[in-house]
Amino acid sequence: MDRQIRWIGLVLLVCFGLLFLQLNNLQVLQAKKLANAPGNPRVVAVALDQPRGIIQTADGVVVAESKPTHDIYGQLRVYPDGPLYADVTGYDSILYGLTGVEATYNTYLRSHSAPVRSFASLFQNRTITDTVTLTISSTLQELAAKELGSMHGAAVVLDPATGATLAMYSSPTYNPNLLASHDIALERKTWTSLLADPSQPLLPRAYAERYPPGSTFKIITASAVYDYDPSLATKVYPKLTALKLPQTTTLLHNYGGERCGGQLPVLFQVSCDTGFGQIGLDLGPGNLAAEANAFGFNSVPPIDLTGAAPSYFPPPASFLKDLPGLAYSAIGQQNVAASTLQMALAGAAIADHGVIMTPHVMASIRTSLGQPVETYKPHPWRRAVPATTASSVTSLMLGVTQPGGTAPNVAIPGVEVAAKTGTAQHGTANTNDDWLVAFAPAQDPVAVVAVSVNNQPASTTGSSTAGPIARALLEAALASTAGHQPTGSTSTSTTTGSGSNTTSTTTGSGPTGPSTGGAGTTTTPSTGGGGSTTTTTTTGATTGGTTSTTTGTAATPSAATASATPAAASAATATATASATADTTAALLPGGSPALSNAGTATRSPSGQPVTGGQASWRPPGPTWSGSERAPPQGADTVPASGRTTGFDPPRWGPP
Amino acid sequence: MAASATIARPRSDPTPAFPVAPPTHRRRTEAGLLVLAGLVTASAGLLATLGATHSVSRSYEEMLGAIVLLPFLAHLANRRLAPEADPVLLPVVSLLNGLGWVMIARLDHAVHSDYAPRQVLWTALGIVVYIVTLAVLRRPRDLERHRYLWALGGVGLLLLPLVPHLGEDINGARLWIRLGPITFQPVEVAKIALVVFFASIFVEKRELLSHATARLRNHRVPDPRPFGPILLAWGFSMLAMVAERNVGFALLIFVIFLSMLWMATGRVSYLGVGALLFVAGAFVGNFLFAQVHERITIWLNPWPYAQTIGYQVIQAEYAFGTGGIAGTGLGLGHPGFIPIVQSDFIFAAFGEELGLFGTTLLVVAFALLVGSGLRVALRARSDFSKLLAAGLITVLGFQAFFIMAGVVRLLPLTGLTLPFVAYGGSSLAANYLLIALVVRVSDEGERAALRQGRSPRPARRSSP
Repeated sequence: MDRQIRWIGLVLLVCFGLLFLQLNNLQVLQAKKLANAPGNPRVVAVALDQPRGIIQTADGVVVAESKPTHDIYGQLRVYPDGPLYADVTGYDSILYGLTGVEATYNTYLRSHSAPVRSFASLFQNRTITDTVTLTISSTLQELAAKELGSMHGAAVVLDPATGATLAMYSSPTYNPNLLASHDIALERKTWTSLLADPSQPLLPRAYAERYPPGSTFKIITASAVYDYDPSLATKVYPKLTALKLPQTTTLLHNYGGERCGGQLPVLFQVSCDTGFGQIGLDLGPGNLAAEANAFGFNSVPPIDLTGAAPSYFPPPASFLKDLPGLAYSAIGQQNVAASTLQMALAGAAIADHGVIMTPHVMASIRTSLGQPVETYKPHPWRRAVPATTASSVTSLMLGVTQPGGTAPNVAIPGVEVAAKTGTAQHGTANTNDDWLVAFAPAQDPVAVVAVSVNNQPASTTGSSTAGPIARALLEAALASTAGHQPTGSTSTSTTTGSGSNTTSTTTGSGPTGPSTGGAGTTTTPSTGGGGSTTTTTTTGATTGGTTSTTTGTAATPSAATASATPAAASAATATATASATADTTAALLPGGSPALSNAGTATRSPSGQPVTGGQASWRPPGPTWSGSERAPPQGADTVPASGRTTGFDPPRWGPP
Repeated sequence: MAASATIARPRSDPTPAFPVAPPTHRRRTEAGLLVLAGLVTASAGLLATLGATHSVSRSYEEMLGAIVLLPFLAHLANRRLAPEADPVLLPVVSLLNGLGWVMIARLDHAVHSDYAPRQVLWTALGIVVYIVTLAVLRRPRDLERHRYLWALGGVGLLLLPLVPHLGEDINGARLWIRLGPITFQPVEVAKIALVVFFASIFVEKRELLSHATARLRNHRVPDPRPFGPILLAWGFSMLAMVAERNVGFALLIFVIFLSMLWMATGRVSYLGVGALLFVAGAFVGNFLFAQVHERITIWLNPWPYAQTIGYQVIQAEYAFGTGGIAGTGLGLGHPGFIPIVQSDFIFAAFGEELGLFGTTLLVVAFALLVGSGLRVALRARSDFSKLLAAGLITVLGFQAFFIMAGVVRLLPLTGLTLPFVAYGGSSLAANYLLIALVVRVSDEGERAALRQGRSPRPARRSSP
């Protein structure tokens, strides 16, 4: 019997030896392949079972936080006011990765080891997260959402002196909680339906979608006048209802058949399309394109969010055989397309003496223990125009809110409001994109607002639709800054349609004129839209003779941060402008050159984004499997739907 | 037989050395090894809780303390009740039990279950079963007397889950009985009863089984008569298994039946017949039982079924791969992705968090346990004791091998628990009972050897 017992021992030894060999196969030979297999949930789970840091607004409202859960991941990302801040926070999705602040500040938000500060800290839990405080004001953000309501559009409020984004909201929006859900089926369903929605709720249209800016682009055209041909500023343009364009028989009609003309301030105040069309032709394609590029067109705004889109202005060469297109581009039509953020930046350039500060949403970062990690240091993105030009354009924009302007309804009693309306025809559809860009107080701006409302009935205008929204936001921004409390009544009369001639042109094919009557004989420009979509981004600013490359920081005035009373502000205006205008050597940087944004280290590249589309095939298990009593996994989308209830023999694990 | 009274030390025996006897050499070795195992368990436990929660809670300290100290109770019982037993068995068992508990407590954190406190209770129960077994059973041959009672008990236990209202279906296998709040897996105890029965009957009928006594034409074949009860018991087991759809234990019982028959007789022909029977059974099972077919399918290639029936096996493979050579560190991996990781698949959790080092440690520990057990069998006093110890330890070894091999996809999944490591009260209690029987055989054998002067130990024992 002993012999057999020894044999049994040998057999079992061989069995255990085989086990050891197979373990070596799995844990040494195939280890790398298995560990990084696309189906291995550990690849993703490493990032998901640790809490992420809090994202909060400037006034301390938590907009994203991690809550411990009792499922396999351990931590659920929660957005308490999900849809309201979705454009800024983005989402943290198992399947679809990170966007927004979640992506840009991922290295701070995710759990990481705190640096060793003392010997004792070696023995403490050093896993921390950082809290990202935004520049967003919850009051302004809520107001933007309330004012936009069910209309599709976007509102952006910037502090022109720092580039801080005070509010950024797009409508319609989406609920990031559904994309951060651990319920993979829900996540996938949400994603599919969001993508299928024609109103594109997933698109942060404030900075990721572009629309023709319409007459708000006249801010840039007017700037080009002062920068390249100041003589045009005093030229008297004839009073016309329609401008005869070169190379074609097409006429450029004023909105509603208005008749307008005169010098630049008048043209700007009433938003005279015939006048600005002619100005565009007088300036020439090179100058206008250079000015657009200087304002940031054809460049991606360096905002610390994902997916910001560059606004588009056609290259000068495209106008050589399409001078009508140049006239239309000068009034922000045809192929010109701008994001709401871009137009806010254009307003900010005028408001901040010609310098565009880098737009940003991060104000400061602290550890979860309260130690400061980083504070955003405002730095210029680019110099758009010399300070003198900015000052002159500010005067033009002030006229818009005066009686006789296109947006007196945006005026705030006791405060000088500079504004520009825009009513752009969008594509072939008989609808408008209504715009308004405004900042206040004009000489010491605390906020610049850009509002775009898309696909509105053709009877609406920038002032009637976007005006009240912009005004409300401006008022709230002023109210939040001490000393700028508006005193007057807040009547919002929107009866400025008459007497003002906002732009209205048709750019698509088809002879349908504006439905507002009046000039029913509008004809479409024969060359409209055709052939001018070449995308060679020429650095048009080569024509700009003023090429002194002083660093923009030196040119940044320190004004506008102080909260002065309106009276004091206006009193100080003269000196402030004077000191700014002395700085006439400020450079017009070539378009597309982000030379001034070299301090962009604040926007770290989001390293370690956990998942991309490649992970989509992975399906994590259901909530909890702890013991034998638990149900086997039911593939949410791979197991036939019937498998959940009947008809599917569930897999059996080894019975214990 | 006259000597047996002194060897068995009945309770009333007023041997002066008994209550105050100094620990034997073996017991001192055992104590030292237990301290070593306790140190490993304690440090692993602390690392695991620090890794998973960054803290050591009061209740965790208490439970860890209990897990480390409970085997010392068994050690004290050994001093009194089995002073000459093998000193390696208990420390290895306590190491497996301790590491298993550490992993169960760590998995509690991963999947938010609450198994660790209960596993401490089960361990205490197991130790009590161990001590009581040693105290009650003073001579292994006492087991031999009620041979058919064991057969009846084993078969009865196997059939118990089939009783309506008593048995419970869990994951498609009817293995459990429920008595009020307690669920119990009788098959774990049944395997011991059957081994005892096999040992007693094979030893008695050894001559019959080994030597051909009947003639079939010109061939001499074993007398078929003694096969009756054996085949009856085996057939019952198989039927119960099929009815309960538990392939793992059916395989285990079959393998142990075969190995014990072979150990008792040394006839290779039994192994040949058994192998044929096994292949036929597997072939038929593959067609008749969905579970068997499923297991074989995912054993051959689980990847097409990654989201369904192959999910668990593939998650285990990911765990082993992620662990690599050194593992992610205790408490730092994601073993929670593996379904039923606390019982059947706990080996994969070790693979992930302790790597090849950890899994090798477990394999070596089981090899050590099997080796010690077989050495006990070799030194046993009687044939019955020999076959009993060998059978018991072979059951344990094969059970450990089958489940570990299933988890690493060396064999099809069998759905057994990893002895002493996996979560489960019935499994722990039954395996402590099993080890107590081996320890009893060992003590008996060593004392017989001492008495016959085969060992130099008496000198040590008589020293103060």
